[in-house]
Amino acid sequence: MNILEADRLSHRFPDGSMGIHEIGLTLRKGSFTVLAGPNGSGKTTFLRHLNGLLMPTSGEVRIKGVPVREDPRRARRLVGMVFQDADSQIVGETVYDDAAFGPENLKLDRREIHRRVLAALDAVGMSGLAGQRPHLLSGGEKRRLAIAGILAMGSEVVILDEPFSNLDYPGVRQVLGAILDLHSRGRTILLSTHDLEKTIAHADRLLLMEKGRIVADGRPGAVLGQTERYGVRRPCAVRWGRAVESWLN
Amino acid sequence: MAELTAFGYHPGDSVLHRLDPRFKLVCLIATSLTVLDSGMAALGLWSAACAILLVKTGVSMPRLLRELRYFGVLILFVFVARAFSAGGDPLVRFWGIGPSRQGMMEGALVGWRLGLVVLLGLSLMATTRSWQVKAAVESLLRPVPFIPHKRAATMIGLLFRFIPQILSAARETADAQKARGIGNRRNPVFRLVKLAVPLLRKTFLDADRLAAAMEARCYTEDRSTPPLSAAAGDWSFLAAVCALSAVAWVLSRL
Ligand SMILES: Nc1ncnc2c1ncn2[C@@H]1O[C@H](COP(=O)(O)OP(=O)(O)OP(=O)(O)O)[C@@H](O)[C@H]1O
Ligand SMILES: [Mg+2]
Repeated sequence: MNILEADRLSHRFPDGSMGIHEIGLTLRKGSFTVLAGPNGSGKTTFLRHLNGLLMPTSGEVRIKGVPVREDPRRARRLVGMVFQDADSQIVGETVYDDAAFGPENLKLDRREIHRRVLAALDAVGMSGLAGQRPHLLSGGEKRRLAIAGILAMGSEVVILDEPFSNLDYPGVRQVLGAILDLHSRGRTILLSTHDLEKTIAHADRLLLMEKGRIVADGRPGAVLGQTERYGVRRPCAVRWGRAVESWLN
Repeated sequence: MAELTAFGYHPGDSVLHRLDPRFKLVCLIATSLTVLDSGMAALGLWSAACAILLVKTGVSMPRLLRELRYFGVLILFVFVARAFSAGGDPLVRFWGIGPSRQGMMEGALVGWRLGLVVLLGLSLMATTRSWQVKAAVESLLRPVPFIPHKRAATMIGLLFRFIPQILSAARETADAQKARGIGNRRNPVFRLVKLAVPLLRKTFLDADRLAAAMEARCYTEDRSTPPLSAAAGDWSFLAAVCALSAVAWVLSRL
């Protein structure tokens, strides 16, 4: 079943330049897709259309068959987004408040909110930090908190925009672990990056973007050969003719 | 980056943390108004009360004082201006003018009042989450006609959310410029402009990102935040503040 469909999506910025151009994409429920492309290729611009933060100049996005334009709130509930910048997506004064922000906006009752927040913090291994100030967390913890905030909303598709930027090795492993955990619980994952090394071992699909277009789409094994033509470095192991290993091993 | 300024919420479980935010807001406004009208003895009383409550909140005092040093400069300026301009007999003279005893007393009084009001405001900021401020403003404004209370409350709540962020951005920008030798430029206007331009830019960018993050999580004005409920403790705190105000009023008129 296709949970998300984008149809000939184009976006023209107010200054006249084209952000993305005629992008078509369908995501199968439960898939793990990596969207790779160099800086400025339009990854963020594209992803922001999928939950209605940006509206296309032409084309359409449908979540489970319903156009985003018709019901952006539904789209935002179903499609959760972790942003590129870890700090500016924190909205609560404590870790608990931040994770509760989404469910509060959905007007759930307090008991249900409490239950969801505890479950979400537990799922990303942050139960012990519930009373902490989010700005004092490490980079990896901030990203995991953002993931918990989405979990608590009950999103079915999780979009992560460069979730590993600025993270050290343990940070990458923590966040990657949380993402794989989501995936194993049946969430659909779409992750953007310009560095394939950390994620490609787990993905079942690889998209390459260049200058606002999707230029390659397929199983990682089939697409990895072309990445360097589009400004994305091939993982080392592939260069040596081996399979890429997971960062969790 | 991690360590934020003293302005901003500090999680804790002190008297002030537990107090109903509506009561805190009302007490803050009432005490600020009385403090601005208090004499030395009453100010001493207020300061002691404020200090006790602030210490209980767990905010680090040395850091608080460090954060407030620029404000201290302002108070000093007010003091000097008063000392020289209040009339009376100058103690020493430079070119015909000088600080008078009476002026210095008056300056100290005004400085003390201002400083105390700032500390009172800080103790509110340190112990109240922005959604609580929002809920309190909303609930207090509800009976007032012609005011969009939900929108006003959202704005004030966000303001609380942003002040610490702007201050920490200001410090980061200032440090980056110090590292590139802005200390060698003597012209304060030049330095202010060089600080303000990137700071404003960054603030608007951050606001934009925050708005996107909030929107992505379905933000609406009508949310299910925990209900505010006043307990016996809140009323007794309010009573204590009223009693203190009465004592201060009497002290100021002796
Ligand atoms: N509001 C805007 N107006 C005009 N151009 C914009 C606007 N926002 C982004 N762009 C441009 O659109 C292009 C794509 O930007 P986008 O942020 O989507 O790229 P990206 O693939 O996410 O890059 P990065 O890896 O750096 O995050 C860039 O060239 C950018 O300068
Ligand atoms: Mg981007």
